[in-house]
Amino acid sequence: MAISVTQHAHLLASRALGWLHTHRERGALPPGCTAELAEPDTVYKPLGETGLAASLVLREAVAGSTELRLARELLDFGWKQLGGGSMLHERLLRYPMMSDPLETYAHYARCGYRHEPLELLLRHTTSLHSTRAAEVLPNRRLAVANAARISGFDRGEDGDEGPRTGSTGGTDWAGLTAATWLGALPEPWLIDWLTAYSMTHTVFHITDWGRLPERLPDDIVRHVGRWLPVWIDIWAEIGEWDLVAELLIVDNCLPEPLGDAAVWERLAGIQHEDGLMPRDGHPVTGDDQERFAAHHHSTVVAAVAGTLAVSRTLGTR
Amino acid sequence: MVAEHVERAADPGAALAAVRIIGADAFAPALLAGAALHARDAEAVRVALTALPASDHTPPAPPAGPEAAWLMAWRDWGTVTLLTVLTGRDTDGVTAARPTAPTAGGDGADWASWSVRMGQLCTLALPGLDGPVHEAARGAPLGLARGATRATLRRDYPTAARIVRWLAWLRAEGVALPLDPAPLVEHIAQMAAGDRTALDTAIARRLLAGPSAYEPSDRTGT
Repeated sequence: MAISVTQHAHLLASRALGWLHTHRERGALPPGCTAELAEPDTVYKPLGETGLAASLVLREAVAGSTELRLARELLDFGWKQLGGGSMLHERLLRYPMMSDPLETYAHYARCGYRHEPLELLLRHTTSLHSTRAAEVLPNRRLAVANAARISGFDRGEDGDEGPRTGSTGGTDWAGLTAATWLGALPEPWLIDWLTAYSMTHTVFHITDWGRLPERLPDDIVRHVGRWLPVWIDIWAEIGEWDLVAELLIVDNCLPEPLGDAAVWERLAGIQHEDGLMPRDGHPVTGDDQERFAAHHHSTVVAAVAGTLAVSRTLGTR
Repeated sequence: MVAEHVERAADPGAALAAVRIIGADAFAPALLAGAALHARDAEAVRVALTALPASDHTPPAPPAGPEAAWLMAWRDWGTVTLLTVLTGRDTDGVTAARPTAPTAGGDGADWASWSVRMGQLCTLALPGLDGPVHEAARGAPLGLARGATRATLRRDYPTAARIVRWLAWLRAEGVALPLDPAPLVEHIAQMAAGDRTALDTAIARRLLAGPSAYEPSDRTGT
C-alpha cells in the first residue's frame, strides 16, 4: 500500500512540476506591469503558487536531481519576475495593509531569496495590530501567520516574545484556529465546496504545509481523520480534482496520513501525460494560454500533494 | 392498523406483499411508542408471511451470494422474530431461519458500500432484535457515521435515513458514536421527501428519544 501511494504520488508530482516548468513563461507578468496590479489574482497569484510548489519540492528534498533543478529554476524565474523582490516591496509601500506581498515573499524567503528593504518593511507591518486584525476570513489569518512564521517574522506563541520582537505579542495559534470552520469541529455532513477549501487551508497553514503535523490540535486531527475519507469520496465522484488534490494534501498534513492508494491511482490516471492536472471533470479545451489559466492551480496542487505524499510515505517526516 | 390496511385494500395480495416489505417496521408503534399490538394486526403479518413464505434456505452473505435474496432473508428473520416476541406464542408454523452473518467491514476502506448495505437492513434497527447484523453495527460505528455523512452530502436522503437509523439504534444501546445523530436525523427529515424516508426518520427520532418515547401519543413536528 505504502509503496503504491509513493509511486503514484511521485509520478503525479514530477509530471506536474515538469508542466509548470515547461509553461512557466505563460505565468510571466505582462510588460509594463507595476506594483499597482489591477488584477492581482490573474497575473500575479500564479507566481506565488508556483513558488509554493517549487519551495516545497526543495524543502522536502525527496525528488530526483532533475526535479530539484526544475524547482530551483522555477523559483529563479519567479523571483526575477518579481524584480528580485522589489515589486513586492513597492506593492507593500503602496498597500501596507495587504498581506499578499508577505504571502508571496514567504515561499521565496524559505528558499533563501531575500530583499532587505522588503524585510525591514515587513518587520514593521507584521508587528502592527492593524495588519493582524484586518477583516478577513479566519483561515486567511492563519495564512498570514504562517507566512510570517516561514519568513522569520514570527514572534512565537502568544506572550512568547521571539527574536524579532515587535510592538505586539506573539501569534495566538489556538485562538486563530478556534475561529475557523474546522476549529468548531462542525457536523461533517454539512460542508460545501468553498467551505471545504477553507478547511483545507486551515490545515495547511497550522502545519506549514505538512512540516509540523504535531501542531494540529488533537481534536482536529481526530475530526479530519474521521471525515476526510468521506469528503474525498464525494468530491472525487463528481470530478472536483483540484479539491480532491487539496484534500490529499490535508491527509499528508496529519500526524498519521490515511494514504488511500486507490485515490492516488485515480488522480494520476486523470493527469495528462504532459503533467497538466485537470481542475475538474469538464473537458480540457482551449489553446495553451487558456489551458494554463484554467489548470495552473490544479497542477500546482498536484505537485504539492504528490511531493508531500512521497515525503510522508518514505518517512522523511 | 395493518389489518385494516389489508382488509380495505382493493388488491389484498398487493396489500399483503406491502406488509411483508414493511416487515418488522409494522411493529414499530408497539416497540417505540407504547402502542398496543392488536391481535388482528399480528394476524395480518402472520398471513402475509404465510401467503408469501420466507425462503427456507439462507443464501451466503454478499458479495459471495446474491444480495437481494440475502437482504430479504434478514428482513423476514426480523419480522418473524418480533412477531414471536410480541405475541409471546408460537407463530403457527411461520418461521425464518437466521441468515448468514454479514461479511466483516465498515471499519476499513469499504465503509461506503458496507454502510449502504447496512442501511438496506435498517428495518432490523429496532428494540427487541439482536444478532450478527447488530453485532456488525456495534463493531463499526465510524463506518456507519461515514456512510450517513456521505449519503447526506450526496443528497441521497433515503439512504441517509436508513443508515442513520443504525446510529440512532447504537445511541439507544449506549454505544459511543463519532457524531451526534440527533441533528443529522433532523437534517435528513427537513431535507427529504417521501413516506419511506419519513418512516425511517420517525423511527430514528424515537430511538434517540430513548425509553421516554414509550408514550401513547406520537411526537409530531420539528
